[in-house]
Amino acid sequence: MNTKKRAAFAVRSLFAGLLVVVAFAGVSAIAQQQPQFVPQAEDPDNFPAGPGRDDAFYACAGCHAFRLVANQGLTRERWNETINYMTERHGMPKLEGKDRELILNYLAKTYPPKQEQNRQFQNPFLKQ
Amino acid sequence: MKKRERSLEELYRDDPERADALLYNRKTGTSRRGFLGGAGVAAMGAMVGGTIPFSQNMPAGFVPAAFAQATPPAPPEKKGPQLLDFPGKDKNLVVLGDRPLVAETPESLLDDDTTPTAKFFIRNNGNPPATVAAPDTWKLAIDGEVNKPLEISLGDLKKNYKPQTLRMVLECGGNGRGFFSPTARGNQWNNGGAGCAEWTGVSLADVLKTAGVKPSGVYTANYGADAHLSGDPKQLTLSRGVRMAKAMEPQSLLVWAMNGKPLENVHGGPLRLIIPGWAGSVSHKWVTKITIRDKEHDGPGMLGTNYRVPINPMVPGAKEDPKNFRILESMLVRSIITSPANGSKLAAGTRELKLRGASWAGDLTVKQVEVSVDFGQTWVRVNLNPPKNKFDWQRWTANVKVPSDGYYEVWAKATDQNGKAQPHVAANWNPQGYGSNPFHRVAVLIG
Repeated sequence: MNTKKRAAFAVRSLFAGLLVVVAFAGVSAIAQQQPQFVPQAEDPDNFPAGPGRDDAFYACAGCHAFRLVANQGLTRERWNETINYMTERHGMPKLEGKDRELILNYLAKTYPPKQEQNRQFQNPFLKQ
Repeated sequence: MKKRERSLEELYRDDPERADALLYNRKTGTSRRGFLGGAGVAAMGAMVGGTIPFSQNMPAGFVPAAFAQATPPAPPEKKGPQLLDFPGKDKNLVVLGDRPLVAETPESLLDDDTTPTAKFFIRNNGNPPATVAAPDTWKLAIDGEVNKPLEISLGDLKKNYKPQTLRMVLECGGNGRGFFSPTARGNQWNNGGAGCAEWTGVSLADVLKTAGVKPSGVYTANYGADAHLSGDPKQLTLSRGVRMAKAMEPQSLLVWAMNGKPLENVHGGPLRLIIPGWAGSVSHKWVTKITIRDKEHDGPGMLGTNYRVPINPMVPGAKEDPKNFRILESMLVRSIITSPANGSKLAAGTRELKLRGASWAGDLTVKQVEVSVDFGQTWVRVNLNPPKNKFDWQRWTANVKVPSDGYYEVWAKATDQNGKAQPHVAANWNPQGYGSNPFHRVAVLIG
């Protein structure tokens, strides 16, 4: 066991202890009769590399899975609106300046509008 | 070179303070112990499924064990849909998002007359509360524009009011969103953000009558025990409501059982609203409070483009005019083919397709369902069953001739009682993708 791993192990042991304290502190009234869903871990490496990838990952994945982001396909303008929306509707800390620019660039470049499927018709009004 | 961030576990191992800052805005005091404000403690509490007492003593950068255990190493990204692995749930549900948990039922799994709980879709907006050991102690408050504010336990709801069981469709407001072009923002549902279960509960109207809604009470504001995803206790995940007339419909229920069993935590147990026919988000899960308001509710999920559709059709993909939106109330007419499944291979020489399906139309009933096996050149009417009760879905069957072996698509189109049919393509595009109900298409190969 190297030092880092040992430190991580110590951290976990301490927290296992803390949780016992938590249980005695009154949360014991709550019984886990029904299972709770355990989300899959995500890693920035699961997503396409590029400048701003990690910043985008950590800005979004604090609350929700990054895969939700990766499943979208939006223009730069709509990604920009989406960042505002996340602040206004869902309480994300404001993203501004260079951080915003970096994240917006990554999202717009990596997750642009998807190819239209099963349809020959192309919307003549939307500039891609 | 910029430091590389990895999984949460590695992030904490390598630089705990940076991990705190990145994930929680958790600020560490000069003593390097405890938290100074920020949403960090609440976020962690939400992650471990309870509050964390003595958090002021928690050293900076420590990730709670429950949280650490909840993040096994990320597996390599798999091709194809992620299937749900959750006790009591069918392994063929498709995970649209796992934080918050959102899983849809493939149309072919909706082939039962009553959707089994194991196959029922899941839509969470926040972090569900922990399971309650004694469900009958769960409390519901009714306040606001009422003569007598109430706080009533689930046990008393069961005892004091007349329970009823109704089979009703519950449908996510965003059902069908994935058919919009260009892509609308949010979970990319096919048609499987819907199911039809037997719900047991008491009429919300009866409970509201006890509280005595004042003439000034025009709208409900529904609140539940799920926590905001950030863990910040000051933020609400969602709080929607309905006009008083909808709340007072006899089928709007306070529900504690689904398909004859106590309502599971993942479906909003021990107590949830079922307000059928409207977007699922008004059927609040883990419901704790209903405030009667003297105006349209303005909680999170009520304003802007949330659960709203354009009044005048907008240019798909363009920037919206916020004034051009109205609340999506009744869901739209929809039909699904539940057998055969998309991608089925049938024996060479098959000349008749035996089709089964379901259809529903929000507040309305379905007048007819037609199917086509030639891309809409000809249509055949199906045998459509009546609903068991209002808001039940209508099951249908049809046997349709095909002239040869080869590739066929089955299309299904329902028409509601007012004569409105499903469109060929998702219509009335809006940025968050509500009201998408194009024909369901299933491809089969004969021979």
